[in-house]
Amino acid sequence: MSFDRKLAIATRIAKEIRRDRRSLAMIIGAPVIVMSLIGFSFQEQKPVLNQVAPALIATMSMFFVFVLTGISFLRERSQGTLERLLSTAVSRSDLLVGYLAGFLLFALIQSIIILMYTLFVVDVEYSGNIWDIVFILLMVTVTSVSMGIFVSTFAKNEFQVVQFIPLILAPQIFLSGVILPTSQLPGYFQTISGVLPLTYANRALRDIMLRGASLSDVSTEIGVLVLFAVAMLTAAALTVRKT
Amino acid sequence: MPDIGAEANTDSAISISGLEFAHGNRPVLNGINLEIPKGVSFGVLGANGAGKTTLIKMLIGRLKPDGGSALISGQQPGPELADSVGYIPQLNALYEALSVRENLNFFARMLGLSDKSHRIKAVERAMELVGLSDRADSVITGLSGGMRQRVSLGAALVHEPQLLLLDEPTVGLDPELRATFWQHFKEMTDSGVTILISSHTMDDAAHCDTLGFMRDGVFIATGTPDELRRSTGKPDSSLEDAFLHLSKASA
Repeated sequence: MSFDRKLAIATRIAKEIRRDRRSLAMIIGAPVIVMSLIGFSFQEQKPVLNQVAPALIATMSMFFVFVLTGISFLRERSQGTLERLLSTAVSRSDLLVGYLAGFLLFALIQSIIILMYTLFVVDVEYSGNIWDIVFILLMVTVTSVSMGIFVSTFAKNEFQVVQFIPLILAPQIFLSGVILPTSQLPGYFQTISGVLPLTYANRALRDIMLRGASLSDVSTEIGVLVLFAVAMLTAAALTVRKT
Repeated sequence: MPDIGAEANTDSAISISGLEFAHGNRPVLNGINLEIPKGVSFGVLGANGAGKTTLIKMLIGRLKPDGGSALISGQQPGPELADSVGYIPQLNALYEALSVRENLNFFARMLGLSDKSHRIKAVERAMELVGLSDRADSVITGLSGGMRQRVSLGAALVHEPQLLLLDEPTVGLDPELRATFWQHFKEMTDSGVTILISSHTMDDAAHCDTLGFMRDGVFIATGTPDELRRSTGKPDSSLEDAFLHLSKASA
């Protein structure tokens, strides 16, 4: 385990993404386009938009970050560099922490673009502290980065990673309260809903954005999100060396 | 197996005994025995699917044997030995958006060269060794296939390993570059470095100090190129003739 290796991996990833101008433009542009489409289609029904916005922000953050990380990590495998890395003294924690730090910056930028664009351009009304919202999004981002790495260890190519998107994200979108409140779901789906990170992110963001709750009011949701992030990172660490 | 000229060496760089490995139900290595002394180049020759890459992956610790053992200087392969082992995978395995210097610098850090001034010198030396000092700041995407191979070699020897494991490093190289590579390899073995190189071309085989012909997961013969050529019983035999002869005899 070495701090220098973690730092080297993180700075390398940041350098690679920064130099890939087209991907960088997509990281910024794609969420803006999607949020514009959703946001402006609700312009005639602003109260509905205000109600669904918290869940929408969390869902879009998770979606974009998951795809960004999943594909990027897979590229490391398909170009053979992961094989080469694993022949060095690099440890699982070096790899995971390095990756997390490298992606986190860009993933967080993406999440913040989604948030700021939704709040200030699409003009969604909100109460609560904006930094509390950013903090919850940071939790969603860490969980999604870990989930992206974990899932990509099971995929052999980009096509397979894309197949994981509906498999991982669709249940979260349908069962975490984005479309229907979880209390209105059938009992067995409510049980599944209880083990999905997006459920807790949605709940926390709704409480903050719609009811002006503080971070301490949503400490249970934060605790569960931290647990998910740790569990995903552990699962990724256990599978990454076996790839 | 005709063990032509090979002798057990107590001071072996690589010591393999009864090594077995299967991918699912398909056996890949079927009880390999091999001793490679320090400071020699050993060529693993065989057709595609003979088990060459699997053998190398066992020696870098990426695969665990189902039976038998593979030791490097008496130790189990794994991350603990990474600072003394250099490895070139079949693919170039480089970061395309980074320059030559940045790639070598990154792999040097992964290989434990955390001291910056020491690392800068090591990277400069590696670039000089593979003849890419003048392209230090060129991004990998702008380099030819041969230059990429040279960067890959540089990344494998930036930490001055005592053992180099090279998985078909000369594939796609022009004859001139291939000769340059072999000149590097010769200089390294002269300085005490051990090289295990897998290949399926007899051109590479002729450069090795000793060879192992591999077929269906076992060595069907080991020895020097001359010893293997003589095994056919014909004075003007090529290594290809020897391989075909021994392969047929073992079938």
